Amino acid sequence: MNLAETVERAKGLNKHAVAKLVALFEDTRTSAAAQRAEVLALLPEGSATVIGITGTPGAGKSSLVARLVPRMLAESDLSVAVLAVDPSSHVSGGALLGDRTRTRFATGDKRAYFRSQSNAAELGGLAPTTFQVSRLLKRLFDVVLVETVGIGQSELDIRYLADHVYLVLQPLGGDEIQFLKAGIIEIPDSFILNKCDDPAAGMSYYQLRSSLSLARPFDEDQPPVYKTSARTGEGVDEVAMDMLTVTPRHTDAEREEYFFGRWVEDEWGATGRRYMDGRNLLADGFDPAQAAFGEGIVRWLTKA
Amino acid sequence: MSTPAHELAESDRPWIIRTYAGHSSAKASNELYRSNLEKGQTGLSIAFDLPTQCGYDSDDPIARPEVGKVGVPINSLDDFHVLFDGIPLEKMNTSMTINGTAMWLLALYVALARERGEDESKLQGTTQNDLIKEYLARGTYIFPPEASMRLIAEMYEYCLEAIPKWNASNICSYHLQEAGATPVQELAFALANAISLLDLLKERGKFDDEQFERAVGRISFFVNAGIRFIEEMSKMRAFGEMWDTYTADRFGVKNEKYRRFRYGVQVNSLGLTEAQPENNAWRILLEALGVTLSRNARCRALQLPAWNEAMSLPRPWDQQWSLRLQQILAYETDLLEYPDLFDGSPVIESKVNALIEEATAEIETILGMGGVIPAIETGYMKTALVRSMSERMSEINSGEKIVVGLNKWTEGLPSPLTAGDDGGIFKVDEKAAEQIIDSLEQLRETRDSVRAEAAIEALKAAARDGSSLMEPSIECALARVTTGEWAGALREVFGEYRPHTGIEGQQLGLSGDRVEMLRQRVNALAENMGHRPRIVVGKPGLDGHSNGAEVIAVSARHVGFDVIYSGIRLSPDEIVQSAVEEGADLIGASVLSGSHIDLAKQILDGLREQGADEDIALVMGGIIPPADAAELESMGIKRVFTPADYELMDIMEAFVEILESR
Repeated sequence: MNLAETVERAKGLNKHAVAKLVALFEDTRTSAAAQRAEVLALLPEGSATVIGITGTPGAGKSSLVARLVPRMLAESDLSVAVLAVDPSSHVSGGALLGDRTRTRFATGDKRAYFRSQSNAAELGGLAPTTFQVSRLLKRLFDVVLVETVGIGQSELDIRYLADHVYLVLQPLGGDEIQFLKAGIIEIPDSFILNKCDDPAAGMSYYQLRSSLSLARPFDEDQPPVYKTSARTGEGVDEVAMDMLTVTPRHTDAEREEYFFGRWVEDEWGATGRRYMDGRNLLADGFDPAQAAFGEGIVRWLTKA
Repeated sequence: MSTPAHELAESDRPWIIRTYAGHSSAKASNELYRSNLEKGQTGLSIAFDLPTQCGYDSDDPIARPEVGKVGVPINSLDDFHVLFDGIPLEKMNTSMTINGTAMWLLALYVALARERGEDESKLQGTTQNDLIKEYLARGTYIFPPEASMRLIAEMYEYCLEAIPKWNASNICSYHLQEAGATPVQELAFALANAISLLDLLKERGKFDDEQFERAVGRISFFVNAGIRFIEEMSKMRAFGEMWDTYTADRFGVKNEKYRRFRYGVQVNSLGLTEAQPENNAWRILLEALGVTLSRNARCRALQLPAWNEAMSLPRPWDQQWSLRLQQILAYETDLLEYPDLFDGSPVIESKVNALIEEATAEIETILGMGGVIPAIETGYMKTALVRSMSERMSEINSGEKIVVGLNKWTEGLPSPLTAGDDGGIFKVDEKAAEQIIDSLEQLRETRDSVRAEAAIEALKAAARDGSSLMEPSIECALARVTTGEWAGALREVFGEYRPHTGIEGQQLGLSGDRVEMLRQRVNALAENMGHRPRIVVGKPGLDGHSNGAEVIAVSARHVGFDVIYSGIRLSPDEIVQSAVEEGADLIGASVLSGSHIDLAKQILDGLREQGADEDIALVMGGIIPPADAAELESMGIKRVFTPADYELMDIMEAFVEILESR
């Protein structure tokens, strides 16, 4: 089957075709870049939203997603793709992708798609290909949920990737300092206190509220804090409805600019930054920019 | 003159001699039971098929491939009338291996006694009904822990006065050993389980002190006995001592009779090999010694597996051979004539004390977490078991643990035992399932539907308002409600449970050149394919013995695969969807229930329907006879693995070769 046919079937949300394109957007071989450009040319940017769901392991993100997605599908006729970035990795380079076990959707529903990504390279952040895959999925589905641990040095990434970031927390036994120490309190647009059937939840809710007013004194309005229980389903409807109202805050061009910059830093550090600044490398898109940058910087460095 | 030590006691009575049996249909199983009883068996041990165990009717789509495969299908009270035809219930001791639907099967048994006019209070037997080990190892749970524990507690509360000789549940360490538990883990997990159950009964407050003491006396255990039979015997003595201590100290039980550790045994199946299967006969004998030699720690009931269990379900002759072993041990030898042979042995005493010390520490850890339910929900116990199993497999792989005929002295002559026309294996009559479904349809048409619906509504109402479900269940049985309807009604109220897989964060203790080489080959594959090879590992169908699948998942990650482990009780459609959505290169499906042909066909059809059959290869593992393996391969399964393929790195190399050859 040729690429155009695959794209055509993927537009109809055929699962196998979607999966083949995802594989192309994760493909690490240089030959894949041209094909990606071909696919993007066939798919308009559209107005889909990307929603980030972050939180420490064990906060119950996957179980919550398992509850949220069926609600979103029932409450609208939108299609939803989930991209779960799993932090587990191993010395072998392999990973156990466990989110899927906790998130079982009905079989045969084209409006829902679930894909796991391993993140062997970066602790806690997005996988190197998360941006690539998300920009594909948002051209196929109406809503893309990106589930990630979202801690560590790259926590800002999720804010650029997503139009709205929800941080999932679980009730804590300790004092409010722990919420501040989490260090991620400044990024999220909304907070979800999960496991609210836990007896400690009431206390945690008020501690979180007071931490927020301390940590974000310049916020005009305090960000919403939802209370949910993935176990009983409590509060799920409210969050699902909220997710359906998210509107885009980044254009693809803005995302490309940010993630191109991140790529440059990862690969070439401060020197790369210096070469990049002031040059309009992204005119032809993300993949060609990477190729052009690679060639360009080598020439620039050898001339200097 | 004093009596010599060896003459002190009266001869012991023989234990209850049983064979775990049931297959195809109620009628076929009834014939089997009657013939086993004629052969001198002294109790029944009923094997139910997986749909009955998981609460599905025989005509449910997920049930169809499994009907009658590993046990007898029971859809309604009509089936029980056939199953026990000609067998007087008042005189029989009936053990039922039933868990998620235990209350339902007990309700059917009571309803049968009532309809036949037999005295309900004289019924004797056991419903296995241990959901903790189902979450950990065996997989036929249905409801979440809280609801499951409520059902168990209500059965104790009903049985204590109404059926005083019924064991409402049987705390099982058997399956924990099958899942890799060490003796210390077996002791600790089983006793922590029993303690948590008694804590719950106490907390519910339905018993006064005198009743509670008797309820403690009804707790019985189902234990495993492995090949290290001296250690196993010591484990049994440790069980007895520890139970006596906990029931006295924690629960204040004064009557010594109610503190006795009562247990039945099925000896180990995990260590039985497909290679040189005749050797298993000796293993079974030695394992039986571990639980019969010491009079003070002797089992009250014994079941032995058959020599060919690693190859297929046993035939009647195989079961007879195991039955004869028990009879020779009990009636031909002088075993029962002596007092305890090991009292006063310093070696045994020291071994027992070491086990008690370690197990007590582990029990305290679990109780410190709040009991077995939190230890299940956090994955603590499951993770410990998966680790033990991985270590055991590593030891067999490295040759540190010798398994004769498997990793040492592997050259042998062909066995005449497997040379018969049937290859030494049992085949279930496929026609039986069709008849069962016909009579199920007939039942639904002819029963009093008003009474049946009212019974189901009453059951749901009781589930919601917290009153006992026992009498409403008996009314359901009498009203010809079906197994699937009973379980379905409670699923509606309680929901269904998905437990922790236990494999996350696991490491495999294997290293060396072989592992390194495979990792390099996997890395090369990743470069060529543009992505790390991805494998979906899962168990289609209802069989929940997940150990094999878990070890494969951990091993595949160990050599560098990205592994999507989807757990147990998946429909073929779910496995196909996982593999397609995840862009998997390979599906590894594990099946132990004998339904491998049906399930393979459904997965292959599903892949073809999705247009993914050329991209995704399917391999299968399980107890698969050679003729079936050949058929699977001709259907398009890339490789079939059986218990003979114990070398994990061989299996991993086969995975890599399949992908390299594309």
